[in-house]
Amino acid sequence: MSKTMIIEAVRKTVTVDCTVEEAFRVFTADAESWWPTDSHSIYDEVREIVFEEHEGGEVYEVSRAGEKGHWATVVAWEPPGRLVLAWNILERDPTATELEVRFLADGGGTRVELEHRGWEALAADAAERRDSYDTGWDHVLGKYATRGASA
Amino acid sequence: MSANGHPLDALGDPTRRQVFELLREGPRSVGELAGQVPVSRPAVSQHLRVLEDAGLVSYRRVGTRHLYELDGAGVAELHAWVDDFWNVALARFKAAAERSNQGGRT
Repeated sequence: MSKTMIIEAVRKTVTVDCTVEEAFRVFTADAESWWPTDSHSIYDEVREIVFEEHEGGEVYEVSRAGEKGHWATVVAWEPPGRLVLAWNILERDPTATELEVRFLADGGGTRVELEHRGWEALAADAAERRDSYDTGWDHVLGKYATRGASA
Repeated sequence: MSANGHPLDALGDPTRRQVFELLREGPRSVGELAGQVPVSRPAVSQHLRVLEDAGLVSYRRVGTRHLYELDGAGVAELHAWVDDFWNVALARFKAAAERSNQGGRT
């Protein structure tokens, strides 16, 4: 029997000095302006990042040569407040992690809350294949437990 | 080759992603993998080394068989890497959104 592993979601919050609408627009339609494509893209040179603006839409990069590299599928498209993507770190669906981004009015600006979750599916897969419990997990889960306790 | 490659960099290559995905189905030998991807056996070995350096797969001997399999620690590493990634990406996003705001909407 495999152990159930809970890997905490990655959670980030950032406050931005602009309207909720503008924050949502820059995050999606203007992703080239901030996504670190130099280091984090499928192809070496990215010409464009496309968010298809509807549920079931695709998020992908287009290389300078015109090749398309799939990133994610849109699970929820609720501008300007919320966006959920099934983020394919790998190409097949079972390994998709989920990215949820919320845009909330905060004073004159916008609070952006990001949650990248669903590591369990990826981890369970790896763990099931192993004969023995990996020490790497002990280390990492211990770290999260500590962080959770101090939060 | 980096001794400590990033998991996502390691998975940036389509053949390596394919190898990684085959290993999701269970441990495989180099020969078995080579039969399922469109590259030579030495090339598969090379790809496996990159995946191993990134902590995504590990290697094990079962009797006379040499098997590669997914490594749970690699997934944890991937998670830590994604955590760092969002720190960087969101700082850039904040700068871009505020720049855009200052310049007015286009």
